Amino acid sequence: MSYTGVTPTARSRAMVREARHLLFTVAPGASWIIVFLVLPSAYLMGVAFMSNGPYGLPEMPLSLESFKRLAGFGFLGWSPGNLYTLIRSLWQTLISTGLVVLVAYPIAYYITTCRERWRPIMLLLVVVPSWTNQVIRTFGWMNLLAPGTPLSGLAESLGLIAPNMGLYPSNFAVTLGLVYNFLPFMVLPLYAAFEKLDTAQVEAAQDLYASPVRAFWHAVFPQTLPGLLAGIVLVAIPAFGMYVIPELLGGGKGMMLGNLVATQFSGGANWPLGAAGAILMLIATFVGLFAMRRIGKRLGGGEEVVI
Amino acid sequence: MRKRTLQRGLTGFWWLTVAFLYLPLAVVVLFSFNASNSAASFSGLSLRWYRRLMGNEEILSAFANSMVLAITSSVIALAIGCLIGYGMYRHRHRKLGWLIVLIYLPIVLPDIVFGISEMAFFVQIHDWTGLLQPGLGTMIIAHVTFQIPFVALIVYSRFVGLDPTLFEAAKDLYATPVRRVVHFMLPTIKPALISAFFLSFTLSIDDFVISFFTSGPESATLPIYIWGAIKKGVSPEINAIAALMIGAVAVAATISLAFSRRRLT
Repeated sequence: MSYTGVTPTARSRAMVREARHLLFTVAPGASWIIVFLVLPSAYLMGVAFMSNGPYGLPEMPLSLESFKRLAGFGFLGWSPGNLYTLIRSLWQTLISTGLVVLVAYPIAYYITTCRERWRPIMLLLVVVPSWTNQVIRTFGWMNLLAPGTPLSGLAESLGLIAPNMGLYPSNFAVTLGLVYNFLPFMVLPLYAAFEKLDTAQVEAAQDLYASPVRAFWHAVFPQTLPGLLAGIVLVAIPAFGMYVIPELLGGGKGMMLGNLVATQFSGGANWPLGAAGAILMLIATFVGLFAMRRIGKRLGGGEEVVI
Repeated sequence: MRKRTLQRGLTGFWWLTVAFLYLPLAVVVLFSFNASNSAASFSGLSLRWYRRLMGNEEILSAFANSMVLAITSSVIALAIGCLIGYGMYRHRHRKLGWLIVLIYLPIVLPDIVFGISEMAFFVQIHDWTGLLQPGLGTMIIAHVTFQIPFVALIVYSRFVGLDPTLFEAAKDLYATPVRRVVHFMLPTIKPALISAFFLSFTLSIDDFVISFFTSGPESATLPIYIWGAIKKGVSPEINAIAALMIGAVAVAATISLAFSRRRLT
């Protein structure tokens, strides 16, 4: 846009008009998000630094009590319960993200090797289950893993679980549920990466007598890395804050950070403690995003990494 | 030779994965037709669970709530998100970093943090002013908040894909801004608006966590009802209602497949 050859007053009037246009289009949405999301999050962060009052509601003297509670210090001295929950959340996130990569990588590759007209249908086939509500999908796994089902029977006869116990509730069921839930989120970005793969590099590696493993590692893997990183962001961040799956499949010993936080706002109410847990989740989210961006920038694929 | 075995192995792995993805859904549908009460054994076909659904007032009202919530929030988000998407396009040469951050915030924020901070905030505001009583209203507000970014990004990318000279041509053709919007802009971004509406609708129907924390006692949606039923103890009725929702998704998938086919040919 250029305003050359126009008098200064006309130019400034145009600028005012442009500014008004910007305000008119952007202000409703921006203020909606600020009022209904930024302010509430700021409020929640404030709550974390307040004391726990009656009914678990926040009270005024500012304190770091809730963070101490989160680290396990309570009325009766230190107990490891909350720390276990934190470690379990991290562990479940790591394991399930790793497993999702292991399954999604060959699947994404396989789709690109199929005929072009089949690819959209195959992708749809992968994505469609995630259109059903998370609660229903998890309920499906409850049906499958309950005591007396064929899968539980199989695990029993292999001696993996005690008789009549069923595969859920357990940490195993939570991992399974997480992998199931997040698989499509990894397949899609990886597929996009494989689709764009420059096969000339692979041929060059083969011409230079690289072993298949080396050809993969030097010619294929680096090219899929942006997709892989995008997938990891899409899987690991929501997995760390997952609420529904551990709540339904995990039972008392499968609790994750999301459940710890949610409990503080309902039954065993302690808002400040819950808010402190939420802050931890926020930090994890932003550290994850920031780290991926940095790595992505170094790889030169800036925009693709953060969706 | 080796390549062939690899390909065959991958084909097998693909079908295993597909089975893994559809097994839980298939089980829900199968057991919704189960004649017996048991969740572990199948003893013949029957429609009794579906018949029981029909008379259940709670489920019908949950269904109505889900629909009202999804449609209202999608319409509001469409209007607001469309404006912001156009604003982002028109002023893209400016430094709008803060706006991008703002737009991405609802997408990256973990559901549980999103839901709980809104819930805590609404409760506090309600304490002070009496406004924002938890119910459909607060749920609509929350849903619009997570739908706006998706609408904005879809509309924005549609505008970016257009030839910029079109805007000049429209300026020459239609004198007033209102006419330009009605005769040029809305028709050109119509596909984007339709897909944004359907995405918003799906996001709303799919959501459980945010609805759960912002809902009131009277505003349970279908997922919230199902959640409550599961927590009370697994009853075969849940299978029937869940199977109906899976059926709706299957229909949606078929439609979108038909659309993608048409786009291909």
